[in-house]
Amino acid sequence: MLRYSRLLALFFRTELQYELEYRANLLLEIVQTVVIIATSIGAVLVLFTYTDVMNGWDLGAMLVLLGCFYLVQGFGELVLSPSFEKFMEHVRLGTLDYALLKPVSAQFLVTLRHFRVVQLAQIGLGAVVVAVGLGRITAVGPLEAVGFALALACGFVLIYALLLALSTLAFWFVRIENLMAIYWSFLDAGRFPVDIYPGWLRVTLSTAVPIGVAVTVPAQAIAGRLDFGGLVLLVVGTVLAFVASASFWRLGLRSYTGASA
Amino acid sequence: MIRTYRALLVATVQAAAQYRVQSVLWMLFSVIRPVIFLAAWVAVANAQGGRVGGYDVRDFAGYYVALSLVSQLTMAWDAYEFEFEVRMGRLAPKLLRPLHPIHYAVAWNIVWKLTTIIPLLVVLALVTVSFDVRFRTTPAHVALFVPSVLIGAALAFVSGWVLASVAFWTTRVHAVSSLWDRGAFIFAGQIAPLALLPGPLQVIALALPFGYMLGVPAEILRGGVDVPTGLTLIGGQILWLSFFLIAFQRVWRAGVRQFSAVGA
Repeated sequence: MLRYSRLLALFFRTELQYELEYRANLLLEIVQTVVIIATSIGAVLVLFTYTDVMNGWDLGAMLVLLGCFYLVQGFGELVLSPSFEKFMEHVRLGTLDYALLKPVSAQFLVTLRHFRVVQLAQIGLGAVVVAVGLGRITAVGPLEAVGFALALACGFVLIYALLLALSTLAFWFVRIENLMAIYWSFLDAGRFPVDIYPGWLRVTLSTAVPIGVAVTVPAQAIAGRLDFGGLVLLVVGTVLAFVASASFWRLGLRSYTGASA
Repeated sequence: MIRTYRALLVATVQAAAQYRVQSVLWMLFSVIRPVIFLAAWVAVANAQGGRVGGYDVRDFAGYYVALSLVSQLTMAWDAYEFEFEVRMGRLAPKLLRPLHPIHYAVAWNIVWKLTTIIPLLVVLALVTVSFDVRFRTTPAHVALFVPSVLIGAALAFVSGWVLASVAFWTTRVHAVSSLWDRGAFIFAGQIAPLALLPGPLQVIALALPFGYMLGVPAEILRGGVDVPTGLTLIGGQILWLSFFLIAFQRVWRAGVRQFSAVGA
């Protein structure tokens, strides 16, 4: 465990050094992130000029939710999407062998290897938006805080499991950028609470593409709207999703053959 | 020119036929965002007793179904593509061909939009039924919609190329075009029908080009504006299109002159 966290820190450091080589680009991307989040808040404010509450969510709760959206999305873009993109490239080029031969878990090395450090800005700003939203909600007890942390961690793991399962398909189909596009197109739906969507979309966002759950449940938890049963259900579902995607990954790995020879 | 285009279109149709799955998946992008904001406005309307401004739930549905169709028909992604070609050194050989590179992009856009429209219509039919959509469209609106959506598509396409031409100087346009996209997010009628943007935002939206690519044709298609207003809005579209056409000629000429190839 210690070894893995040391490795993770090492990966992070090297990627940070790499990104610091492109300082102007770094600055531009941060500005971009600020604009994206500001315009998203603008969209929520426009909706709330016409109402005080949307399906039971007031402005404070909605801002917390939007912050969670950027926390989850930021986590995906910080480590998951760069790592999974590299992974698909490795499968296509047959260079995955190098990762498989190293004396650590292949799943760890493939899925958490690359970082886009600038995305920490998105996570940081997401946290700020959560804090601003919380300022409008009275009294967050320790119980809510723990529930929030737990739900958010589950959200991260759910997204991880989804992307792992999707990219495992690369072992059979090689070119799967299109499938990843499904994730990207549904991701946008996370900006609103999953309970406002019509049936088919709500079901999709809670099961097959669990972005809705990953964002909505943490926001519910901190606003004190989540009961204990809901949290347990989330944790159990997350563990199941993780185990299922990891075994799917191992199944896929078995059918991998180096393409270089 | 007609013969050139016939050949180009045939070649492009054949090339596009290789990407059938992709076309279905990319359609998701045209559908998901309108459905998201439709759901949000339905939630707002329900909290306000079923009405917001001049829109009830079925009007919102009509607007966003129209918006989804218009967005598929007008949106162009050439700026991202163009940057890639400049950076990879693929533009240089294209500049040497007797035909301006923009014609290849025109052909590609036409074919792409026409082939992706069929799966989109199927999905929109489902949305139409499940939201019990109301259209106030009259034959006059249809007559206005045809030029409006064509101008909207031309506007999105040409402004995209002006934006892309920035790559002649900077090689990268990703930051610029992503800021542009955010402008479109707020002002094009995606987060709200233009009529529902609060005071100053609405004035800005009508002054900027974004709404004339999406919101205006969509509002005309659902029959949300009367005919004189529709004609005025189309006038605004024509103004912005002429502006971008002139800008494109200028920027392109200057850009090509100082372009120096990257790559091999």
